[in-house]
Amino acid sequence: MGRTLFEKIWDSHLVVEKQNNPSLIYIDRHLVHEVTSPQAFDGLRINNRKVRRPDLTIATMDHNVPTTDHSLPILDQTSSVQIQTLEKNCKDFGIKLFDIASPNQGIVHVIGPELGITLPGATIVCGDSHTSTHGAFGALALGIGTSDVEHVLASQTMWLEKPVPFEIRVEGKRKNPHAVTAKDIVLSIIKNIGTGGGTGTVIEYRGEGISDLSMEQRMTICNMSIEAGARAGLVAPDEKTFDYLRGRKYTPKNFESLVDTWRDRLKSDNDAKFEKQFVLNIDDIVPQVSWGTNPGMTCDVTETIPSPDEFSKGDSNQKKGAEKALDYMDLKPGTFMEDIKIDRVFIGSCTNARLEDLVAASKVIKGQKISSNVKAMVVPGSQLVKKQAEELGLDKIFMDANFEWREAGCSMCLGMNPDILSPGERCASTSNRNFEGRQGTGGRTHLVSPVMAAAAAIYGHFVDVRKMDLN
Amino acid sequence: MKGNVIKYDRDNIDTDVIIPGQYLKVHDYAELATHAMEGLDPDFHSKVKDGDFILSGKNFGCGSSREHAPIALSHSGIKAVLALSFARIFYRNAVDGAFLLPIEIDKDAYDGISEGDEITIDVSTNEIKNITKNQTYHMKPFSEIIGKIIAAGGLFKYKPDQD
Repeated sequence: MGRTLFEKIWDSHLVVEKQNNPSLIYIDRHLVHEVTSPQAFDGLRINNRKVRRPDLTIATMDHNVPTTDHSLPILDQTSSVQIQTLEKNCKDFGIKLFDIASPNQGIVHVIGPELGITLPGATIVCGDSHTSTHGAFGALALGIGTSDVEHVLASQTMWLEKPVPFEIRVEGKRKNPHAVTAKDIVLSIIKNIGTGGGTGTVIEYRGEGISDLSMEQRMTICNMSIEAGARAGLVAPDEKTFDYLRGRKYTPKNFESLVDTWRDRLKSDNDAKFEKQFVLNIDDIVPQVSWGTNPGMTCDVTETIPSPDEFSKGDSNQKKGAEKALDYMDLKPGTFMEDIKIDRVFIGSCTNARLEDLVAASKVIKGQKISSNVKAMVVPGSQLVKKQAEELGLDKIFMDANFEWREAGCSMCLGMNPDILSPGERCASTSNRNFEGRQGTGGRTHLVSPVMAAAAAIYGHFVDVRKMDLN
Repeated sequence: MKGNVIKYDRDNIDTDVIIPGQYLKVHDYAELATHAMEGLDPDFHSKVKDGDFILSGKNFGCGSSREHAPIALSHSGIKAVLALSFARIFYRNAVDGAFLLPIEIDKDAYDGISEGDEITIDVSTNEIKNITKNQTYHMKPFSEIIGKIIAAGGLFKYKPDQD
């Protein structure tokens, strides 16, 4: 019987296979950042171990870094210590580090692909749940905790229970690709299958609605696989994948011969069996806005907020969750999404801070001013994205509209640096999680696409971007 | 294991409410513990006792890969989380460091056990006994290797070559 793409990658990385148990798999690339690695390096020191393959390990600093001038000292002492600790650890263990002064610094899931470190068919891990992003290249990319970070540093392997393959097909071609974005596709998927819908699976995104997307858009989709509970998400590589990687800083020297192999092997066989399947038609997808406190609590921008009864469809825990979410978000059922006023706009994060995202948002902003009631910021995903955007003049477009234009980092996606919401503030955010307190204690997050966030900044409330001229 | 239950009667308890992002810079586990569940239940730290269990619904621990989440609960005294299902990274982190036992339960156990009930968990028989209500439920057994990692006291104490 045929195998899925995930099964082919799995089989080719098995070191020790165990039925109905975790198997030991080999890891091709290990990405490291400052928050989930300190205890792992401490563990190596205590046990007098080395990093087995420093040449396959790459580090950067993103979670803690301020997005103000990177040449200034970091004022937050604990952040500063965590960043210095990573510098020391990389020096001691011989790991390549893109530090705060590097032109290649950025969010780990943005720099991996743009440097050509992320490769099709590879196994990639990082102590960060959004590692699923790299699956856009047909890699098996997994988020892991600090103990597993230590295990991979020491052995270049990890124990993993074999996930089951899950096919999500997006049928059809977008009629309005400027307004209906990859973010809207993935939010629609999560809304439909739920935040636990992908638990224990590796999702393979397939169909014309996926192959039609650019690499950066595919990254947005794979990035949020974890929000559906999946262990990873992937897209079979195609010519777009190879074109994206060709000529990048760390693309392997034998790239073209690798491409021949990848083109031949890295796809699910026609008779491969997926344990689960879900199909979505692209014509049913419109711009999405989350209203609650998990990414599954999302609706169309044209809709009103559902009542807990409507949302829960008879599930008592879902109902309680919706009631609590509406209370936290200070929202009432029946309110039109377009009537929800916002205080802040955040365009950034590993989900939506790549060049195409910023270009798309800038088209909405150009020549306009943001609402006087709104504070808005753009945090490019990497220093390279920032540089490329500035070459296109995007910084000027955003700043002319009264957006702040910042340095690269995770920033307000998770509130570890000074970029946080104040209690009660409502934010249109291009990030991935609307959990309680995620963007700052008491902050209220609405997940949207970059164009939806940009439009909300101008109007001071959500608007259906399909009504706007975005060409 | 014997202890009392703190019940969060909802699904999707995420890692940002278990330990908010601002505390991921804290390396002192005792201090980390003082902020456990802060995002959801500000009284948690004052009410939790050593040996307590948490009971919750589906998809417990969804979100971030932060190992700080099971560490913060463990250093608060929590010995096991009983849930209808777990997000896989949280489950794995809990086992890896032997911080606490992630125990998958069924609807009978979830509905039967109330806040404050005294229960015992026996992983050798996969039985949960509710002493307060004199009821018995079943837990989903750990897979063989997960059970061995737990018995060894964590990933780095587990010796696979002895299998």
